[in-house]
Amino acid sequence: MAISVDAPEDSEHLRSKQGYTFTFLSDSKREVIRRYDLLHKAGGPDESDIARPAEFLIDQSGTVRWENFTEDIRVRPRAQQMLAAARTIR
Amino acid sequence: MTDSNTKRANSTLWIGLLVTVLAIASNFLYFFKFPAAPLPWINLTLPGIGLIFLLIGVVRAFSQPRIYRGKIWGSIASVVAALVVAGSALFFVGARKMPSSTGAPQVGQRVPDFMLLDSTGQSVTLTQLFAASPGAPPPKAVLLVFYRGYW
Repeated sequence: MAISVDAPEDSEHLRSKQGYTFTFLSDSKREVIRRYDLLHKAGGPDESDIARPAEFLIDQSGTVRWENFTEDIRVRPRAQQMLAAARTIR
Repeated sequence: MTDSNTKRANSTLWIGLLVTVLAIASNFLYFFKFPAAPLPWINLTLPGIGLIFLLIGVVRAFSQPRIYRGKIWGSIASVVAALVVAGSALFFVGARKMPSSTGAPQVGQRVPDFMLLDSTGQSVTLTQLFAASPGAPPPKAVLLVFYRGYW
């Protein structure tokens, strides 16, 4: 599931263009981004506040089992890394 | 006047130019299956090495003009390389300006539930994402990916 500040229609455009089947959530008020302390002030175009890239693997009890915070916006976890983390959850 | 055919090729200039081109090309490695962690450092060191070679080449071209070529194109290539170094350094610093996120949920902690609109405009809660979809067992986990947006 992916979260960004993009409006639902922008996310839908990205989702359908890329053929992604997972859920895209729109946090245009930066509500959840703020609650998770992931707000990157003036990190977006025209000094807009956006989410910093971060990934959390949550189990059914709502507990974080794995997480990743990049130190560089150019660096993201690989799909294999995230799949390996997901396989640890039974 | 020296016959230009007797001059030696200024090999350090060529090496410097090659390394600078590689430095620019290294930025595109992000799109390939290359381990991403060392990349920001490669992007910074390569143009630096290229610039050092170019500067040695230019100094040689100017101090021993009878032996080495490359006064004009060597100088131009050095200026371009210097700009690449400056641009890479600026981008390197900018790309690493991250909020500390010390208040973010840690491994072992419970995350707060939330409700947001999905891309079709429907309200969705985190809890709902754990619900079983028809004909499939409920997911054992959900991966929350926060991304910068503006794609």
